[in-house]
Amino acid sequence: MTQTNNGRIDCNNIGVVFGSGEAQTEAVKDVSITVHPHEFVSLIGPSGCGKSSLLSIVAGFTKPTRGTATLDGVPIRKPGAERGVVFQQYSLFPWLRVRENVEFGMRMAGVSRSRREGTARTLLGLAGLLAFENHYPDELSGGMKQRIGIVRALAAGPQVLLMDEPFGALDTQTRTVMQEILTNMWQRFRLSVLFITHDIEEAVFLSDRIYVMTARPGRIKAEIRVPLPRPRTPAMFETPEFVELVQRLKTLIREESLAAMGSELTSGGVEGFSIDMGPNGVEELL
Amino acid sequence: MERSFDLEMKTGAAATPARKPARSRRFRPPTVSGTQALSVKAAFAALSIGVLFLVWYLGTRYRVHFYIRFQNVPAPFEVFREATKVAGSNTFSANIVNSLRRIFAGFFVALVMGVGVGLVVGRYRIARQLIMPAVEVLRPIPAIAWVPMSIMLWPTTESSIVFITFIGAFYPILLNTVDGVESLDGVLLRAGRSLGASEAQLFRHVILPGVLPNVFTGLAVGMGVAWVSLIAAEMISGQYGVGYYTWEAYSLVNYPAIVLGMITIGALGLLCSGAIRLIGQLAMPWLAYVNGARK
Repeated sequence: MTQTNNGRIDCNNIGVVFGSGEAQTEAVKDVSITVHPHEFVSLIGPSGCGKSSLLSIVAGFTKPTRGTATLDGVPIRKPGAERGVVFQQYSLFPWLRVRENVEFGMRMAGVSRSRREGTARTLLGLAGLLAFENHYPDELSGGMKQRIGIVRALAAGPQVLLMDEPFGALDTQTRTVMQEILTNMWQRFRLSVLFITHDIEEAVFLSDRIYVMTARPGRIKAEIRVPLPRPRTPAMFETPEFVELVQRLKTLIREESLAAMGSELTSGGVEGFSIDMGPNGVEELL
Repeated sequence: MERSFDLEMKTGAAATPARKPARSRRFRPPTVSGTQALSVKAAFAALSIGVLFLVWYLGTRYRVHFYIRFQNVPAPFEVFREATKVAGSNTFSANIVNSLRRIFAGFFVALVMGVGVGLVVGRYRIARQLIMPAVEVLRPIPAIAWVPMSIMLWPTTESSIVFITFIGAFYPILLNTVDGVESLDGVLLRAGRSLGASEAQLFRHVILPGVLPNVFTGLAVGMGVAWVSLIAAEMISGQYGVGYYTWEAYSLVNYPAIVLGMITIGALGLLCSGAIRLIGQLAMPWLAYVNGARK
C-alpha cells in the first residue's frame, strides 16, 4: 500500500487454446492489453470472442496457454484478494446475511470483528443498502444482489476490480441505474477496473478506454479512448460525442458479429442461405 | 428421496415464519385462511391416524378372517394395558435407553465419517478415484447382512450393534455430501478464492455451509436406515433394546407386547427424524427464503 502507482494490469501476448488434437479451438490469440492505475477499461466484442477467458486469466482462475498476465509487474498465478471479481451470475453466499457477505474478504484476512463491521456498514451505507444488512441474499432483488456483489469485492480491499458482465442478467431499467451507481462509486474509490460487457452504451458511459475484440479467435481490433469528461451523468447519453462514439463502436462490433456468425453473411445483407433441397424437401434435411 | 426431504424442509420452515417477522420482506402475517389451513391440516392428520386405529379396533373386535387373520392380533386396549404395565418397569425404559444410545453412537460416527470423507471425496478427484470404488462395492450389502460378520469382527455385542447402525447411516450421509460438493455452484468457490480464502478457509466457510442442505438430506435418510438396521440387529443378536423387546415378546407369545414394541419403535423413529428436521431448520435459516420456498 506504500506504492502510489499500484493497480496496473498487463496482459502480454496472451493466447488461449481449448482442447487438444482435432478438437482444438483457439479462443484468444496474441492479446496484449494494459489497465493503468486508477483507469476504467472496458473490453467489448461479439459473444465467444474470449473476453471472459481473458478476465478469468487476470482473476487467476485459469492459466493462459501462451503469454503472461501481471499485476504491478508480479505474475498472476492464482486468485487473490488484491484482485476483486464481480461475476455475471449472482455469487453471494446464500447462507450469509448481507453484511456477513460483505465482511467475507476481511474475515478471511483476519480483520477484527469490530473493524469488519465498521467497514462493511460504511460501504453498505454508500451503496444505499444499510437497511438490508441483516437480510439473506434470497430476500433481495437481482439489482440489489449485484450491488452487494460489488460492495463485497470492494470491502476486501482490492487494488483492481474485475467485472464480468455484472449487469448482464438485469433488466434495462435496473441496468441503467446500476451503471450510474457504479460510475459514482468508481469516482469515489478510483480503483483500476477491467470491465467486460457486450453493451456498447454501457462501455462508453463507464470507461476511460475501450478495447474492441475480434470474433474468435479473439484479438484486439481497436483501442478507443473515451473523451467524455468526468464525473459522468446520464445526461451524457444524449450528447453528440457520446452518440458518435457509440455509432463508431457499433460499426466495428457489427463487422465482427457478422464474421462470428459465418462468412456467408456479408455486410450487403444475408446471403448464402439458399439450401439445395432434394425432391423430399425439408424432410430430407432433418 | 432427496427432493421430498428438501421440500419438507422448506415448507416446514415456511410454516413458521414468525421467527423473524420484521426483517423479512416476504413475511406474511398469519391470516384467517392461514390458521384455517392449519386446523384443516390437523383435522386431516387426526382423521388419517384415526382410520388406522379404527381398522385395528374393528379387525380385532370382529376377529376378521379374510385372507389376513386378526385372531391373534391383540386389541388396542390390550396393548394399552400392556403399556401401563411396563410404564413403571425399569427393564422397558432400559430397553429404550439402550436403543437410543446405540443409535446415537452409530449415527454420530456415521455423521463425522460420512461428512468428512464426503467433503474430501467431493473436492479431490484423486480421493474419489481411490475411495469410491471400495464404497461402491460395499454399498449394495445391506446393513442387516453385516450382522454375522459384525458379531465376528467386534469384541462385544454392543459394539457390533453400533457398527450395524453405523453401516446403515453412513452411505446416505456420504453420498449426499459428495453430491452436495459436486453440485455446489462453482461461482461461489471462485468468489471465495478471489476474496482471499485459502483452501482450508474455503472448506470451512464456503464448501461446508454450501453442502449443509445436502448433508441434512443425508442425515434424514441415514437416520431412517439406521433405525431399520438397529432394530434388525437387536432382534438377531441383541440384549436389551426395543428390537430385542419386540422379538422376545414374540418368543414368549406375549402378543400385546409385540404391538407395544412396534409402536415404541415407530415413535422413537419419528422423534429422531423430527429432531433432525428441527436442527436442520435452526442450522439453515436462510433456506426459508430460497426461491420457491413459500409456495
